[in-house]
Amino acid sequence: MTPRLTDIITAAEPEVRNRSLDAFCRAASLEELLAECARLDAFRRASDNLYERVRACFFLYALHRFHLPEKPGFPINGRIPFEGYLHLLERRFEEAIGLFLKMQAENGPSDTLSSALAAAYHRLAFQTLADQVRRSVRSVRGNQWMFRVGHPHDQPLRVRPELLKRPSAEAPFPVLKEATPVRMDLTHSAWSDIFFLGMDYPEGARVLNVSIDLAVRGRDSDPRPPVEAYFRVLDEPVLRLASVDLATTADITDLSEVFDFARDYLGLLKAALIASGLVPPGIEGSEQSLTDLLARLVGPGHGIELISNVNGIPKGSRLAVSTNLLAALIAVCMRATGQMKSLEGPLEESERRVVAARAILGEWLAGSGGGWQDSGGVWPGIKLIQGQVAEEGDPEYGISRGRLLPAHHILDKTEASPETRQKLQESLVLVHGGMAQNVGPILEMVTEKYLLRSEAEWTARQEARQILDAILAHLRTGDIAAIGATTTRNFFGPIQTIVPWASNLYTETLISEVGQVFGEDFWGFWMLGGMSGGGMGFIFAPHRKAEAQERLQRIMSGARKRFENALPFAMEPVVYDFAINERGTYAQLLPGDAAPLPPDYYAQTVPHLVRLDPRRLTAARRAELDAFGAACHKRPELSGMVQTLFDRLLPRVRGEEGVGQDLASLLTDYGFDPVQHEQIRSDLKSGRIGLAQNRLPVSSDIRDVEPGDVYDGVGGLTEEMRALGLNALAEGAVAVVSLAAGVGSRWTQGAGVVKALHPFARLGGRHRTFIETHLAKSRRIGRMCGRFLPHIFTTSYLTHAPIESYLAAEANYGYDGQLILSPGRAIGLRLVPMVRDLRFAWEEMPQQVLDEQAQKVRASLHAALIAWARDAGEGSDYTDNIPSQCLHPVGHWYEVPNLLKNGTLARLLAEQPQLKYLLVHNIDTLGADADPALLGLHIQRGSALTVEVTPRRLEDRGGGLARVDGRLRLVEGLAMPREEDEFQLSYYNSSTTWVTIDALLAVFGLTRDTLSEEAAVTAGIRTVAARMPTYVTLKDVKKRWGHGHEDVFPVAQFEKLWGDMTALPELECRFVAVPRLRGQQLKEQAQLDGWLRDGSAAYVESLCAWS
Amino acid sequence: MKTTKAVITAAARKQRTLPLQTLIDRDGEQKSVLCIIVEEALRAGIEDICVVLYPGDEEAYREAAGDHAGRLRFVPQREPLGYGHAIYCAREFVGDAPFLHMVGDHVYVSGDGKGCALQLVEAAEAHACSVSGVQPTRENLLPYFGAVGGQRVPGTKSLYQIERVLEKPTPTEAEQSLMVPGLRAGHYLCFFGMHVLTPTVMEILERHVAAQGKQGGIQLSPVLAELAERERYLALEAQGRRYPVDVRYGLLTAQLALALSGQDREEVLTGLLELLAQRELSPATAPQA
Repeated sequence: MTPRLTDIITAAEPEVRNRSLDAFCRAASLEELLAECARLDAFRRASDNLYERVRACFFLYALHRFHLPEKPGFPINGRIPFEGYLHLLERRFEEAIGLFLKMQAENGPSDTLSSALAAAYHRLAFQTLADQVRRSVRSVRGNQWMFRVGHPHDQPLRVRPELLKRPSAEAPFPVLKEATPVRMDLTHSAWSDIFFLGMDYPEGARVLNVSIDLAVRGRDSDPRPPVEAYFRVLDEPVLRLASVDLATTADITDLSEVFDFARDYLGLLKAALIASGLVPPGIEGSEQSLTDLLARLVGPGHGIELISNVNGIPKGSRLAVSTNLLAALIAVCMRATGQMKSLEGPLEESERRVVAARAILGEWLAGSGGGWQDSGGVWPGIKLIQGQVAEEGDPEYGISRGRLLPAHHILDKTEASPETRQKLQESLVLVHGGMAQNVGPILEMVTEKYLLRSEAEWTARQEARQILDAILAHLRTGDIAAIGATTTRNFFGPIQTIVPWASNLYTETLISEVGQVFGEDFWGFWMLGGMSGGGMGFIFAPHRKAEAQERLQRIMSGARKRFENALPFAMEPVVYDFAINERGTYAQLLPGDAAPLPPDYYAQTVPHLVRLDPRRLTAARRAELDAFGAACHKRPELSGMVQTLFDRLLPRVRGEEGVGQDLASLLTDYGFDPVQHEQIRSDLKSGRIGLAQNRLPVSSDIRDVEPGDVYDGVGGLTEEMRALGLNALAEGAVAVVSLAAGVGSRWTQGAGVVKALHPFARLGGRHRTFIETHLAKSRRIGRMCGRFLPHIFTTSYLTHAPIESYLAAEANYGYDGQLILSPGRAIGLRLVPMVRDLRFAWEEMPQQVLDEQAQKVRASLHAALIAWARDAGEGSDYTDNIPSQCLHPVGHWYEVPNLLKNGTLARLLAEQPQLKYLLVHNIDTLGADADPALLGLHIQRGSALTVEVTPRRLEDRGGGLARVDGRLRLVEGLAMPREEDEFQLSYYNSSTTWVTIDALLAVFGLTRDTLSEEAAVTAGIRTVAARMPTYVTLKDVKKRWGHGHEDVFPVAQFEKLWGDMTALPELECRFVAVPRLRGQQLKEQAQLDGWLRDGSAAYVESLCAWS
Repeated sequence: MKTTKAVITAAARKQRTLPLQTLIDRDGEQKSVLCIIVEEALRAGIEDICVVLYPGDEEAYREAAGDHAGRLRFVPQREPLGYGHAIYCAREFVGDAPFLHMVGDHVYVSGDGKGCALQLVEAAEAHACSVSGVQPTRENLLPYFGAVGGQRVPGTKSLYQIERVLEKPTPTEAEQSLMVPGLRAGHYLCFFGMHVLTPTVMEILERHVAAQGKQGGIQLSPVLAELAERERYLALEAQGRRYPVDVRYGLLTAQLALALSGQDREEVLTGLLELLAQRELSPATAPQA
């Protein structure tokens, strides 16, 4: 008998427990699945075992997200109660589920409601897991006491006397320096180091982790520990934090500031102070004095300076730089306060474990999160890190199967001989490919698939375990070529089976080019963790390593240039030199009067000190400046310091002028309208436009559609329509317009890539860009009707040149029809947002509440950004970034009028007078094609516009189809006067529109004949534009700096949107409901996995002819 | 195991005058701190007492001991090689007998009239092993004391089998290895300054002294940690409190503790109340806001 889902969850036998949900669901009917849902929900409420509850939640999520919608007869349309949505935002998941289930009981199940239930169960599961990890972090022995210390008098730590000894009362105190290697993962663990996995499946959580020193090739002389932390006592009662790598220093005198993580770039240092117990977490919010706490720690009138330094290793290296820096900072603080036996030298095993536990705590406090292997740099050499089964007496016992902290086994000489280690170093080329990616969604995908025991992924996970054993065996025998073959097998096998998005076109291009150049001497590719594109390894025959390093640099730079507009790059690729570090984290006590801090620290702090009145400096500061001055004459590494200091002392204007000029010339080139810009600025500053003013009047009557308002685009399409459409296609009456002006801000969190060129997924065996996919659909339709459609891509200043050159390089992807680019003729300049709008967005609009600690971090970030807007000048031009990030496209409404304005449509009509219809769709609506039946419907009904809408799901936010004061039209989410109105609406706008050209021209006061008259076109567009509402929006823009660092700023811009055309009374609009697979848009990378699993990808592939 | 010998240490340079200070004992008589400690030992059935002191202090101590001077033997610690070494100086006096060890700068006040030393000596006799007096202490005071970890002896309320001993542990170490079931969160068993020790301690000390030689720094806690590994070693949560006189206002607090639990309780309380009342009511002496 087939076991029930609850039996699978509770089974003790692995063969039942590890059975997949998919297999069960394939065989079950809709009714059976609904009954299982009810049973699972009752089960999860009754079970007191955390992992059973979590697994039940994931089963419920998958049932509602994937399996129920697949079953024939499952109702599509439903309603999501707004109150339930608010509960979701507030993280009251149980209440949300309760409401959704009540709705389901009353009105029956539906795809719409299931989407809400899926989201609620998914978030509840992750919330439960995160709570559990947090509890474990707090309850690890050795971490608990810090949560009990609520007053300076409770502080049991004291700075060690060695750090208070100095030659004279004026001399600076000695400096304790901790240097720590970073870690690389020799096996890629199939992400088994995610806490959620390690704590449920400790047997499967295994990684081979190597501590390494690094040097950037061509810049540094020898590999050295990449991260350093410095600690010293000050003769003033302040907490001085300095990040040399991020060029930031702050003197903190207020305790609450230590807990303000996002205020500046010093969050990691603050987390280290807290996690090491110097400023114990229990004292947060106590309103106590930092001076008193410092007096307790160091003595009255004294303070502490903590300094971090990363030796120029870029962010996103996949080498856990930030976790190891945090660990180094924690270790130095713990040594300084006697929490480690030795002040200097390496650490003992028990001490390393405490540091690792504290680093996990620190990451949790600062709202970031790494895997449990990430602090591996604290340990020496090569080590096998394994999950541990929780036993009686452990705080995790009875709650999770595994312990929070894994065990570290350091490989000895028999397991990896010195010769093998040497050979590994002689073969492996480590690089940073330059891409910076958000691995957050991947961690969730992996956890989810593990808990669902999805079949292919589960098999892959077992294979990944065997791969680790194979690599261990090869290390024992010293067979580096075999290691290369195995890591390659891992990358193309288990890793991509579990998460296909771990690879990308850039990485695969590199592998293929390296393979072509080095042939047999290229032994393998090795993915370092998370996602590829950043830190990666290539293994070569040793005699070609030097050549490979040089060649890889060129190959990467070339590929980066090719893909720079298509993929998010944060920096120029680099090649590293590396060495295995055999001593782990290591400390030294340095005399204070010998300028012992990193040169860049002085370059950063001395200019400021020199400007101060010497009498305001403490005696130790003056002595330090003296010592530094003397050292500049003697020490070779400080030889260029005088020039550096001189440069920093003088104000710099050169760079800013350069940017300004660039921007000005771009604005001129792209037809920027300064008069309109000043009008917008003035309206924005005076409050005439703004986020709150985007909305329709509160008195607007917004209702859902009525029967008959929407044509059934599934059952209602007839053979006759299809024939009509096919005929029109064959006659050449149709062209496709794909809107490709956008830069995928949600896709890359503001990194500014050309979304149309982004190779988003592997389809038909290769990574495909959005453009290629759209062309492949047109190719199929063209073949079907015997005539290739003209395909127009509308572009903007940001996307035109990259798309043009990319298409040229790809020879238009072999598209046989006409391929036309319609360049944008409108551009805006971003503005520093109004504080009023920031507050509206963050405080008045319903917001997704985050996890407790993350919420604190976000609140602190928002405060910092509000201060930034105020300081930068509200409503002033946003120019503090590269020019392309300061400009913005002005909304996709302009993209269709642009066809008129730039002559594209006139030329096309001249060449192809039989052209009557346009299919206009967004670049990310992958299911949209020139479907003959839908075209037939549009022709038959004789509408000016036929707009495709889809049944709503929870994630479809941003307006929809509504009756507004009696008129049926699309309403943008921005214009909804009340949030809850949107939840009344059954249909979401797919942004795909069939347009009758002559009817559209008429709205602009034009005909085919007057289309060539520039003045008439301009006047027509201006008139209609004036009738379209202007929306003010906030966009996140990334600013890149330093070594791959990125800041995100919210900036204001304005937009006009195409959907508002449906509000024009003279334009006859009809609406057709199409299946979700056709209408859905791919906006975020996090959607990809569901898109692949729910049949969407297969649907798109079925529409495409790739060649 | 009968304990008849006691070793009092008072050789630390900074603390050598503390035992000479004068207090009024519970019986209303004026005595030196040394006298009070000696009487605590005598009440526990101790017959011979050795005081380890700073060379040259013998005369002052003899005087401070008053009537008890005759039964005290003074042994100088010739070099300041640590607290453990001070105890080791009494090795000849101790011989191969168990001994009560007390520090010269603590005054003990027991709750139920049975002296703390007596409680310790009885426990050692009953269980035939070393016993250290301990007191549950909040973690913020860990920088000042040695602390022990272990398990409660089944069927007893205040006896613990010692498994680990750490000198001035960090709270992290304490949480990882010194947690004792039954104590309040954040509390650890810290030494009370009073121990009954078997002669094994002298053996271990001898090794430590030989190993560390003239560099000194010989402490008692590592020796006791070794003792716990070698033989049965218990901790007794003594009924009573210790008052270290070497801390700020230590002497005053010790005096108040003695007075408030002695025959002059009423008189002292009245005096305190008067003092407070005068202070609060008189504008000239009231503290300025």
